[in-house]
Amino acid sequence: MADSKHIVLRHLDIGKPIIKLKDYEKRAGGYDGFKKAVKMEKSAVIDEVKASGLRGRGGAGFPAGVKWSFIPQNEPIKYVTVNADESETGTFKDRLIMEQNPHQLIEGALTCAYAIGAKAVYIYLRGEFWDVAHMLDERIEEARKAGYIGENILGSGFSCEVYTHLGAGAYICGEESALLNSLEGKLGQPRVRPPFPAQKGGGLYGEATVVNNVETLANVPWIMVNGADEYKKIGTEQSAGTKLYCVSGNIQKPGVYELPFDTTFRELLETVCGGPPEGRSFKALLPSGGSGPIVPLTDEVLDTRMSYEDCAAIDTIIGSASLIVMDDSVNIAWVASKVIKFFAHESCGKCTPCREGTYWLDKVLDRIMAGQATAKDIERIDDVAKNMAGITLCALGDFAANPIIHTIKHFKEDFLAMAEGKELAQAGD
Amino acid sequence: MVTPVKEDTELVTINIDGKDYQVPKGGNLVDMAKWVAGNDIPVFCYHPKMDPVGMCRMCLIELGGVARDRATGDIQYNDDGTPQIRWFPKLQTACTQTVNDGMYIKTNTEQVKEGRESVIEFLLTSHPLDCPICDKGGECPLQNLTMAHGNGVSRMYFDDKMHLNKHYPLGDLIYLDRERCIQCARCIRFQDEIVGDDVLAFHERGRRLQIITNSDPGFDTYFSGNTTDICPVGALTTGDFRFGARPWELTEVPSISPWDAAGENISLSTRLDRDFGGKAMIKRVMPRQNEYVNEIWISDKTRFGHHFTRSDNRLSKIQIRKGSNFSESTWDSTFKAVAKTLKEANGSVAAIAGGSATNEDLYELAQLVTGLGGDKLGAWSPTHTGADLVAQVGLPEGSNLGELGAGDAILVIASDLEEEVPMWRLRLKTAQDRGAYLVVANGRNTRLEELATEDPNIKGRVVDGAAIRYEAGSAAAVMANLKKSNKDIAKKLADANHLVIVAGAEGLTLEGHRALVQSAANFLIDSGHAGKVNSGLLVPLPGANGMGLHYMGFSPETTQDIAANPPKVLIVLNAEILDDDPTAKTWLSQVDTVITLGYFMDAIARESKFVLPVQTFAERDGSFTNGERRVQRFYTAQGPMGDAIPAWKAVGNIAQAADLGRAKLSAAAVMVAIAKNVAAFEGITYKVLARTERQFPDVGGDDKYYGGNAYQNTGGIGKQIALSGTAKSEKVTVPDALKAGKGEIVLLPTTRLYDRSHMFIPTVMVRSRVSLPFVHLNPKDAKALKLADGDYAEVNYDGGSVRVRAVVSDDVSVGAAVFPRKLTEKATPLVPTVGTITKVTEPAQIEG
Repeated sequence: MADSKHIVLRHLDIGKPIIKLKDYEKRAGGYDGFKKAVKMEKSAVIDEVKASGLRGRGGAGFPAGVKWSFIPQNEPIKYVTVNADESETGTFKDRLIMEQNPHQLIEGALTCAYAIGAKAVYIYLRGEFWDVAHMLDERIEEARKAGYIGENILGSGFSCEVYTHLGAGAYICGEESALLNSLEGKLGQPRVRPPFPAQKGGGLYGEATVVNNVETLANVPWIMVNGADEYKKIGTEQSAGTKLYCVSGNIQKPGVYELPFDTTFRELLETVCGGPPEGRSFKALLPSGGSGPIVPLTDEVLDTRMSYEDCAAIDTIIGSASLIVMDDSVNIAWVASKVIKFFAHESCGKCTPCREGTYWLDKVLDRIMAGQATAKDIERIDDVAKNMAGITLCALGDFAANPIIHTIKHFKEDFLAMAEGKELAQAGD
Repeated sequence: MVTPVKEDTELVTINIDGKDYQVPKGGNLVDMAKWVAGNDIPVFCYHPKMDPVGMCRMCLIELGGVARDRATGDIQYNDDGTPQIRWFPKLQTACTQTVNDGMYIKTNTEQVKEGRESVIEFLLTSHPLDCPICDKGGECPLQNLTMAHGNGVSRMYFDDKMHLNKHYPLGDLIYLDRERCIQCARCIRFQDEIVGDDVLAFHERGRRLQIITNSDPGFDTYFSGNTTDICPVGALTTGDFRFGARPWELTEVPSISPWDAAGENISLSTRLDRDFGGKAMIKRVMPRQNEYVNEIWISDKTRFGHHFTRSDNRLSKIQIRKGSNFSESTWDSTFKAVAKTLKEANGSVAAIAGGSATNEDLYELAQLVTGLGGDKLGAWSPTHTGADLVAQVGLPEGSNLGELGAGDAILVIASDLEEEVPMWRLRLKTAQDRGAYLVVANGRNTRLEELATEDPNIKGRVVDGAAIRYEAGSAAAVMANLKKSNKDIAKKLADANHLVIVAGAEGLTLEGHRALVQSAANFLIDSGHAGKVNSGLLVPLPGANGMGLHYMGFSPETTQDIAANPPKVLIVLNAEILDDDPTAKTWLSQVDTVITLGYFMDAIARESKFVLPVQTFAERDGSFTNGERRVQRFYTAQGPMGDAIPAWKAVGNIAQAADLGRAKLSAAAVMVAIAKNVAAFEGITYKVLARTERQFPDVGGDDKYYGGNAYQNTGGIGKQIALSGTAKSEKVTVPDALKAGKGEIVLLPTTRLYDRSHMFIPTVMVRSRVSLPFVHLNPKDAKALKLADGDYAEVNYDGGSVRVRAVVSDDVSVGAAVFPRKLTEKATPLVPTVGTITKVTEPAQIEG
């Protein structure tokens, strides 16, 4: 499929970005899915997406259609919020969609808005994406002029506005409830759930809200045009469709690749990306950026399909599919240290285990990296991380525990070598 | 009894550690586990008065529910016939759970124990080990819960601890120790949810997350001290108490706030102190739980204002005038001398008493005056009236402002409650949060106005929502004509399930206030609310015992009568007549002899023949009757000040010396006499007033997590006096508003919480928050007077003049200048009057 057609990165089939509306309409079947949707019953649109098996691409993989169906139909005010906060380490796919094929996202978001009866779509972008936001604003204006946004869209009686909003630079605002707080102008900290965003009282300004990732919504136009059955044919049984895999680290050809979920790690890393750098061999993989459990790149792992269910079987997650590859030159304790620094910096501080735990882990890892630690310190951070996991307010606490628990599980010898000063810290940090 | 279980409460069954309990549906799990099962689920961030946030993660439990078939909804059973329980795989926070039928929790499993131990360990990683010098040490939830749930050993390297500012002043009153802070946000949420003024916030994130104030001056609120009580660690301390004493050295003495009509229940934390000659001394003032009155909150004035009781300026010796000098004397000879003077007046004796005098003092004083043949008992100050109507159409027995909510309505008219009775303002605000319709009517902007219910249906007003901004001085007319001129608001009020009207006296003469209060009473009677529980009239009578003055026979109208027909001998008790009223010296000069009983050598004392030092609320026992007619008892806390004795004792001994019967031996004995002779007090004894009951939420018991040894109410919740009499809707004549002539302006005195009165000024730490004197004008009036904002101005009025700052804004109505009382040591108008304001051009000193 990589060489034939794409679902999300359709511009690759054409060979150049599809920015302007007239290009999107002419060359990528622009807004056909939305046009079809607004002629359908709202519930039928939701059923179609449900039937497609489309799962959320932000990381958790929650079925999108099911999420939409949670929205109470009789509430007068509802919202769609697009999560374009793309902050997971090693993830750079949403930016690509917005930069190269922006109308597909807008179309997907509008389809969702129609299906749930939302009054407005808010696209929440990470603060660094100011140029992307600016460009999106132009595309939104273009769509409005063409009658896809505004009052009585396409004569359907459905009215909706689309806005962009920039965050202020916090990883946690990719978490949906923290995102909503930030969007409301509050401190970016996660909320207590329930109520969930899809429920009255839990969403934006207290109204029922769908929060979907950019990539998730970008799949919707294709589903509307080609139907759920066609979509289900792609990928695996529990992971329908394609996924945008972001590959970085010690690899010949890093980048974003759109592949069906039934692709194996070997196919992607060796066939498509050309394997590790010359003279090196694969050591480990973070399949889901810093937040997912690390796995050693054994044959077993390499022959695993990159789907939600297959990754669960090898005790990791595919998450947002940000594959960070490490070869045999890398000490994994250094990786853990880098990742923990990230989480200590990004913890919002709202709940105790994450606020204090990330700070503490970072301090001990500093000792390990300086060669000033003992085996007991490694046991200690393992225990601290395990104490953190499962009792935090949001998932960030678990994410921050993962890099410790799983790196020690698979690569304890790297920690011992580092702790006892046998291996100097990697150059740079 | 204040309980979560009302008559119409739906009960559900929950199972805690294997045992079933019936609890009110929708209650918070932490509260319910404590209330019904005595199960103290540990918390740091959760507080029963505020919404749960699930931040600290201390209240971890195992949570489950009865398993039901997804399709049919039928309960699934085990083989043995018991319902199957589906447990969450992860631990859940109890504070974020509302109880529902079939809820199962476990609080004592190994998993729960480990979870809680982890949270304690995390909290302590960067917490300093300065418990031995921490104000909270000894009553600290973090200490207590560490003992109960912590593992006792730290695994954190000491060098890795985070070091932060330990003495950060959030304002003049509250200091923040950033190392001790555990980021529970109780203080932020208190300001936001309870006060409605979010002057605190979080700044930064992660381990750097810290509390900041975003007001200027810092932490600008009248309720800041409460945050130090609810702080679960020693992060927030008051400038008054920090490093002052250790909690375990303190004796908690139940008392009542001496400041205003709310009658906040307090605890005076005392110890024998070298700074007070080894006598018992108040080290701090803490709230004492009384859910009917102040819940668990007190205003900063109540908390910090105790310094006057030990002021160097306190009157500690008897002063008897000899010519132009005073000389000291002894009580025995003074009783005789005073009695002789009184008898010689041949019945031309009257008394004026203020709101600091207790029920016992007032009763004895009334006995003395009537015993001598006098009949004039005046209440000070003659600004507020209507206590007689509060006795008839006030809130009936069993009422609780804390129960007002959806479907109920509140009207606050002619009162700046935040400045007059801050606790009522706090409780009415939370009632508004619960859904009560809050209407605020005033001739100027008050802080309460901002809290008036937003109501898009009320249109064409100066201010948004359910607020009425009327022409200066026209409150009585507005109330009398509410149904005509504010039809929509009047309808909302009349149709409410419960209606509370707070009728202040701002901008009104005594006659004007009488018209307002009667109109308010009429409204309550006409709408059928009079006599209904949780409905009625409140008047922010000045002082702590305004209603006591009424019940003991003192009235402000009589004060006017005394001024119009001065007696030969006047007894003044706790009334700073000359400091308060610039016109009083005119009629006082016609009084032959003034006998003053007071705390200070104030202006009236200096004009008196006999000056008798009496004890404040801190040094004696007694009782006050609050604005809701609740008689509340306070106890002796602090050592005596010089020769001062309780006023009831001084008056009783004078009566004895005048052969009017034996002096009573105790305040309790006076109360026995009151109960016998004052109908409203029938059945009230000190024993009745000392009764307590279990209150919800339960914050004062043996629990380890709400902190503070003072909450527990062991001193009594008092007794509310039943309504008496049957007020009828009466025709009201609204007196004409004051008219200013050419070049003149109407001066409208207002009350400020922090002022330069004798009682408040000894509280040095709050002095910077006392406003400099000012006169507040509408731009139109200012223009006519050629005054700009910030100009110096001289205000001239009957009996004096003072230089102040001019404030010009449209926050006040046209036609009158707002001129707060007691911001200077000079007497300024007590009631609305006509005066002049002139610009002062030469470099001027304003008279603070």
